[in-house]
Amino acid sequence: MINFRKALAQALGILTLATIVGLEVDFFRPDGLPLLNAGQSSVKLDQSGSEISIKDAALLYVTKRAVFVDARSQYEFLQGHVLGALNIPPSDFKFLFKTLKPRLDGFEAIITYCDGELCPLSHELAGQLRAAGFKNVLVLKNGWTLWNNEKLPTERGGMSGFTPAQSEAMCRQCGK
Amino acid sequence: MQAVRKIAIADVALRVALAGIFIYASWDKILHPKDFAAVVRGYRILPDILVNIPAIILPWLELMLGVLLLIGRLREGTLLLVNALLITFWIILVVNYFRGIDVGCGCFSTTREESSPMLWYIFRDGLFVVLALGAARVHRARLRGAAPTNAGGSAGGDAEA
Repeated sequence: MINFRKALAQALGILTLATIVGLEVDFFRPDGLPLLNAGQSSVKLDQSGSEISIKDAALLYVTKRAVFVDARSQYEFLQGHVLGALNIPPSDFKFLFKTLKPRLDGFEAIITYCDGELCPLSHELAGQLRAAGFKNVLVLKNGWTLWNNEKLPTERGGMSGFTPAQSEAMCRQCGK
Repeated sequence: MQAVRKIAIADVALRVALAGIFIYASWDKILHPKDFAAVVRGYRILPDILVNIPAIILPWLELMLGVLLLIGRLREGTLLLVNALLITFWIILVVNYFRGIDVGCGCFSTTREESSPMLWYIFRDGLFVVLALGAARVHRARLRGAAPTNAGGSAGGDAEA
């Protein structure tokens, strides 16, 4: 006579064993899966190459997962920049970093940009940010031109979220 | 005596057939967990966050059940799980057929090279369910036949004990 309780106990034993083996193997194999699958983003952040495409940058911008940092001069920044971007020219990094650091925290990516295919400022700023401990820094090459070409949101004037006095204090080249 | 022998043969034949199905089904999934996770996701039964759990465990469960069927150990538990799994798979296929979700099957391969219509998979998996139910029934009949004469004497001793 088949004993259902015995069958159930055996089934639970087999299930437990399969779970343990599955988890163990998954843990040690190089192509193992995370136990819980976070929703997959179509944005692939390049951890090594440190550049990001305009499409991915725009997607991160729209979903508020990235902070944009303009590496151009403060004068150019005042003439127009990515809406909500911060401005840290590499030459003023030491001067501005301490004040702006809290506004760089908590994002999936920090995206630096300047203007022109060969503009070195965004790479320079990215290097400074990495040296300061940020690992999620990506460069949007030729960013300002690409951003405008796609008619993405821009604004003129100083950095938003600061009082005029604060902006004035941070602005070394304004009006010069 | 003749009937007992026939039942014993049917028992072994069904177990070996099911073992083959389960071991074969597990292999590609064990080799390609990511692809199998995509198959599980394609069924749209589980929320995305839980998709990896069956993708990690199920292939090993199938392999284990296949091996246990083959060697004839822990038969009650094995047959219970085999039936539960096959019936669940079949219900999922039927539900997805009516939802209009044609994800292929992913039963034996994690790629979409099997491109037969869903009805074929429903029919084929239905046959597997019949096999599994048959295996459970034959096993039961075999136990009944063995019990009065020799409680622990025939093959797969743990099952008859």
